[in-house]
Order: sequence, then C-alpha cells, then structure tokens
Amino acid sequence: MGGKIVLEDKISKFKASLLKHTELRAQVNTRRNVTLLNGNLVSNLRSDESGVSARVYKGGVYGFASSAEYTDEQIKAVLAAAKENAEFMDTRIRKNKPALPSLGTGKKELLHNVRDVEQKVFIDFAKEIDAYISRKYPNLASRTISARSDSMEKLLVVSDGCDSHSIIPRCYIYIFLTANTNDGTTVELFKPLGGFGYFDELFTNPDALHDEIDKLYSDLMKKAEGVYCDAGYKDVVMHPNLAGILAHEAVGHTVEADLVLGGSVAAHNLGKQVASELVTMVDFAHTALGETVPLPVYVDDEGTPAEDAVLIKDGILTGYMNNRETAQHFGMKPQGNARAFLFSDEPLIRMRNTAILPGKDKLEDMIASIDDGYYLTETNNGQADTTGEFMFGVCMGYEIKNGKLGRAIRDTTISGVAFEMLKTVDMLSDDMVWLSSGFCGKKQPMPVGMGGPAVKCKVNIGGR
Amino acid sequence: MKTKKEIAAYTLEALKKAGADHAQCIISSGKVDEFNVDGGEFSLLRSLFNSSIAIKALKDGKKGVITANKLDKESIDNAVKQCIAAAESSVSDEAESIAPKIKNGDFVSGVLTPDKDKLFDRLQEYLSDLKKDYPKIILEQMISKYIHSESVFMNTNDVEYTYTYGNYDISTMFSAHEGEKSSSFNGYYAKFDSLDEKLMDIGMQRTLYAESEQQIDTKTVSGKFVGKVIITPACLIDMLLIALGNFVSDSTIIDGTSPWKSMLGKQVASEKLSIYTKPLDERVVCGERFTGEGFMSENMEIIKDGVLKSFMLSNYGSRKTGFPRALNSSHNLFVDPGTMSLNDLIKNVDRGIILNRFSGGQPSTNGDFSGVAKNSFLVENGEISYAISETMISGNLADMLKNIIGISSETVSDGITVLPYILFDGITISGK
Repeated sequence: MGGKIVLEDKISKFKASLLKHTELRAQVNTRRNVTLLNGNLVSNLRSDESGVSARVYKGGVYGFASSAEYTDEQIKAVLAAAKENAEFMDTRIRKNKPALPSLGTGKKELLHNVRDVEQKVFIDFAKEIDAYISRKYPNLASRTISARSDSMEKLLVVSDGCDSHSIIPRCYIYIFLTANTNDGTTVELFKPLGGFGYFDELFTNPDALHDEIDKLYSDLMKKAEGVYCDAGYKDVVMHPNLAGILAHEAVGHTVEADLVLGGSVAAHNLGKQVASELVTMVDFAHTALGETVPLPVYVDDEGTPAEDAVLIKDGILTGYMNNRETAQHFGMKPQGNARAFLFSDEPLIRMRNTAILPGKDKLEDMIASIDDGYYLTETNNGQADTTGEFMFGVCMGYEIKNGKLGRAIRDTTISGVAFEMLKTVDMLSDDMVWLSSGFCGKKQPMPVGMGGPAVKCKVNIGGR
Repeated sequence: MKTKKEIAAYTLEALKKAGADHAQCIISSGKVDEFNVDGGEFSLLRSLFNSSIAIKALKDGKKGVITANKLDKESIDNAVKQCIAAAESSVSDEAESIAPKIKNGDFVSGVLTPDKDKLFDRLQEYLSDLKKDYPKIILEQMISKYIHSESVFMNTNDVEYTYTYGNYDISTMFSAHEGEKSSSFNGYYAKFDSLDEKLMDIGMQRTLYAESEQQIDTKTVSGKFVGKVIITPACLIDMLLIALGNFVSDSTIIDGTSPWKSMLGKQVASEKLSIYTKPLDERVVCGERFTGEGFMSENMEIIKDGVLKSFMLSNYGSRKTGFPRALNSSHNLFVDPGTMSLNDLIKNVDRGIILNRFSGGQPSTNGDFSGVAKNSFLVENGEISYAISETMISGNLADMLKNIIGISSETVSDGITVLPYILFDGITISGK
C-alpha cells in the first residue's frame, strides 16, 4: 500500500529516566524485492521489520535487549532487560572501566520524507525493462531484472548524547544478463542502477535506462569473446567503479577500531606512510566535496554527531573509525561510525561513505602509460584481512597492450597487501564515481557508500 | 488470538476472504540470549524477543509474499491486504502452487531449557583454554548464543506442522600474532545442543588455532604451476555450496544456464564423490523438519558415486522445469568419507597446497573461479613446506569435481555438516 508511515515517537518521554549510559532506539526496516527471471516473477516480496531496543553500558560491558512489540510496556521491559544483562556481565567480569564521556544533548530532526511505494510500481517498471531486453536482445541465454528497495527509519534517544530521527531510503534496479559463448560455456554481467531515495522518485521513465542496458549488453558480448587473464603481478588501471571497493576493503576495514583491537595491521601503522603521497582517503559522514554523499549519516546510533573521519592524508595513516568506547580507549574523538542494521541489532563500528579523493590525471593518459597490463572496469565482491591482504572480484575489464586497450577479459580476482599496494599508486584520475548498492557484511549487514577516481597501481591478478 | 495456530488460522481465513485462491502462512516466535566477546574480552549480553510472520497468497495464479514481525490483529490485517495487492499486481504463473496435504506433523528438537550461567561458564573456560593452549591467538570476536524457536506452518490445503527447537551455537573470528606480524584471520561456526563438553573441542577449532599460529610467518609461492589442492572441511563447505548453487539450484536450472542442466542420472564428478543433504541425521543439530513451501523434509542424495541423482529444486522450480523437487531445502551437506588418511592425501601431493579458506570473486555460473588461498600451506614432495600468503588459485568447479585423487577417511562434524578432506588435481596456483 502506498502512503506515509512515520514511526510514532513513544520513546522521548523516557529520556529523563535513562541510566547513564543508555541508548533507546525504535526502528523500522523495509525491504521490497521484485525479480523477473526470463519474464517469470520469481520474487514478489514486501518485508517490514520493526521494534524497539535498549543498550546499557556498565563498567566496560553492555547489556542489550529488543522486542518486536513497540508499546510503552515493552519499552519499559527492554530497558529493564538491558539493565539486567549489563549487570549480569558486570558482576561476573568486573572490568571496572570508567563511564563514557558525555556528548551533551541535542536533537537532529528528520531531513527526508518517509513514504511507502506500492508493489505495483516496482512490478510494472521491472516488466517494462524486461520487455525491452527480451525484445531487443532475444539471443541472450538468460536475463534477470530485480527491482529492490530498502529503508531504515530510526528514532533514537540517548542518555548523554544527541537524539535523532532519521531515514535512509535507497533503491536499485539490478540487471543480470547471461550470454552463450563460442566455446560452449556462458558469461554473465550485471549492473546496479539507482541510489538514495524512493523508487518512484528515481525511476520515472524506463526509457531512461536504455543506454545503460545497451552498454551492458555490448560489454557482455565483448566478454563472451574475452580471454582469461595471465596470472601474476601486473600494472593495472582500475576504473572509478573499483576505487570505492579498494577504499572499503583494502583500507577501510583495517582501520575500524574494533578490528584494530582485534589485531589488524593498522595497529602498528598509525602516523606512518602507508600509501603514495597522492592518496588521501576519508570516511565521509554526510557531505563530500560540497555535495550530499550517497548514504548520509548525521547522528550515529550511540548519539554521536557524525563528522568526516580522515583515514589517510597524503599517504600517512591518520586515524581510525571509532565508537564511543574505542574512541576513549585510543584517546580519539568519536565521529559517528557506530551503526546498527535492525532494531534488534546493537551498534557496531561501520563505514559510512568511504572514498579515495580524486587526483589530477586523465584516464586516457593512465591507460597510455601501461605497456602490458589490464584496465579493470567492474567488480562484484571483495574481502579484507587482518594482514591487510585484500581481494576483490573483477567481472569486466580489458587487456592493455602498448598503451592501448586490447581484448576483453573473463571473470578474475585481484589481490594485494593494502599498505604495499597503495604505495604503488602513481596516478589518480581527476573525476570520481560514488556507488551505494551493496551491503557490507560484518556481524550485521549494512548499506554503505564508496567512491573514488580511476587508480593506476600494481596488483596480483588471478588467471590461467 | 493467542496461540500461533489460532493466528495462522485467522490469517489464512482473512487471505481467503480477501480473494486468495490458495495461501500459506508461517508464524514464529522465540528468544535469543547472545554473549559477545570482542578483542578477547566479554563485551555484550544481548537478549532478543522475536516474532515473525511470512505469508504467501495466490490469486489467479499470481503470487504475493509478505514478511513482517508483528502478530497483533491490526498488523496481520494490514499484511493480508498488502499481500493480496502484491498478488493482484503480479504475473500469472502456472508453476505457482502450495503444498498438498500428505502427512501433518509436530516436531521437537534440541535443548528446550537453556542454562545461561553454564553457557557463560563454558565460554569463560574457552577463553582460558585459548590463552593457555594457543597463546599467540587474538580472538577478534566470539559470538555464542542460545536460540529458542517455536513455529507453525499452515496452508489452505490443511497442511499443518509445528516445530519447537532450542540450540546453542558459537561463531569465532581470530588471528595469530607475534610482534607486528600476524596470520590471516580465520573463523569457525558450529551448532550444539549440550554443554557437557568443552566448547573448544567442537569441530576442527583446535586444528585451526594451531595452524593459525603456524601461519604468522608466510612466504609466497614462486611462479605459476598447475598442481594439487587438499581442501579442508572448513573450506569445502564454501566451495560445495557455490558449486551446487551454480549447477543444481532453481535459477540456473530454470533459465537453462547450468552446465549440468542435462546431466541428471549421468556422471558429473569422480566416482569417489557422494554428496547428500541430511537435515534429519542425528549429527545435525535442530535440522529442518519442513520446507518453507510446506513439504516434510527428508534426507536426499545429490551425487552418488559421481552420478548426479537430484537437482536442488524448490517445488516451484520443479513445476517450472518438470524435474523432481529437492526432498529438503537445508544446507546440511554430507560427503562420504574415503579410504585414505589425511596423511596419505598429503603424501600424494608432489607440489600443491592445503587450502583452509578461499577468499575469491563470485564464481561464474560456468564454474570458473579465482581467488586468494588464505590460511593455507604449500606441500612439496608429500610434506608440508611452509605457510603461504599472496598466493592465488584458479580453476573450474565442474572440472575440479571430476578430478579427485582421494578423499580422507577422517570427517569433521560441526552440527551442520559432516565433511572429509578432499584432494583435487588440476588447479592453477600462482605466486607474486
């Protein structure tokens, strides 16, 4: 059903009675998924999850409780259960840590409207896209169109921090195409299109997607005739589509303060040169280079007003991303990285909109500077490691031979050790691309934004 | 409306009144108590009071699905309305259906009365064992919980199941450290229904901790070669799930892109390989008793002696393609053990690696994969030489399953799967 569904504020009245330190949060997560597989509607899902949770800090441990029922009675019950859990832990562990420093008070009001979009809108749009592809490209082995949206609306009251009412809605159309190849196998390629906002705001005209679909098909045909990479240590230019995942996987995770405490490589590198002087990397809160970022965060789920976290400045590792507790531990300022996914989840240290800042080079000069290497244009996943050794999947790219683009390549994986690989960065393009379609996986999933320019560097590439 | 059965009956009646020709509904409620350890120290105790409802309605062959977590009358009335609206906007598909009534059942499994204090004591003991036995390990995170769940399935064909279960689980993420050097992180997950034994002794945790301590000093493999790979049980589950997802699941059988689409009853793997899903096996903790589509779960063969016996299709996928549906929808994978010991497998490797974790790009439907060999060792002339880093492997999953040299007689059980070590040949291994 369409219409407005703003979360009713039943929690502010408890503010004065909260123990220090307590977070009380009411939240609604929505998810819509319409998927057409070769014209068959294989998913037609609407999901709403909502409820209330409380987290209480005592002596260095937290107690947390949540309930799907959002009534005054249940709010009191989760507050009592969270307190009881904190006491259960505190009496057995006795860390005797001091209270978290107060962040004062204040409230950030809702900045974006809260709406729901009817399922018919998703289905009709997906059908139009599917019809265009099936009509224009009948030779495809398979096509999948998935129209999806998700949103997180949160009401937060904190005993000693900033309260807030926020919403992050995003929606995407995923187009997956599969083609047969001459060697009797298949190749596939996908493209997510969308971003922050509601489906009927972002997708008003199916025709507007035709150029992207045509390009996707054209890339797929090149990939069908593509070659396997020659495995080894290579010069590459990464398209800006890859810079974000490089920032996120190679560096971002290693400088999350909880992972630093867990033994990440960043623990030994604060203040040291970890990248070429060209590299500056920031986890942006809500505004970057004068524009709103893809998934803006104004106050995090511990009541910390969000500000940018500068992680690498001119190649020097300058900071970590913290929650209130790790900020106290490291003597740093919390900058609003504690984020929870569902009402029933506790805040964890998460990235927000992590980007490498653009440089001064032109993409064509970067490609021209390589004699034998690869130009990598699309990625599908990635993973970081304690040691800084990251990898990500590459699903589209080209050979570079004597400064010119050659044949397309088949799926591959690239890897490197972050703080070694970043020192090989010798060119950055003067433009940047933001992406926000994915979920970052830690204990909980989380929508994150990532971005950056084209990057020239050396990496290990998988192949045959 | 108090019991879940009453709520389910009310929901189905409301769906029929609103115009559904057929409908099904699953109602669940439960409680979770979860202990968290971060950076080796207890950090959080988390209690969840859960409820959920999932409804599916068919109207004129068109499907709508709603999931929500409120069980009051107003929320259910709203969910019913939304479900019918979603179905009405949908696309008609003759393959859509609900399960027929065959035999209803009430199931109970696991431990229904948790012992929170004892679980805490076992976890404290775990931290102390870890410190004593594996002093170089930093436990980045450990999450251990007790889950209690009660659910009811009902549909308009009078199918009715209930399932009440309770189990514990443990999930860890860790790495070994010495000065500024560290191993790669590794992790483990296991389910259990008793606190009688030390949690450290579940599954292959001790092996992984001991190996991580040996992986602080690593070298890259020199050059590129085609060699042998022993895949450990902890890594095998990931590789098999990717292969089965690409080759025998709904999406690639329905759209015909699976390389195994015409291989039912034919040889797809080495005759040494037999794979099953067995949610009812006694080593599986609180396994599936009925599928989300309303069929009672049974154990099944997927590959027997290398011959493809069944796809893993949903009932929808089955009706869409004409092939039989899977007898369960679990991921409780079992692989029959072989005749060689793990030591004999290692002796059979002239040059290759022991792969403990694969960190790679999403493999293609055709089975091509490439990625980094993590937490792994180089094997030369039948002996383990050293721990490796910055080493990539690539190959094709379908080819790999045909190219099995041996399967270990030892298996590892983690409450979810029972898997051996498998020695594969023909994998490209490349260093820096």
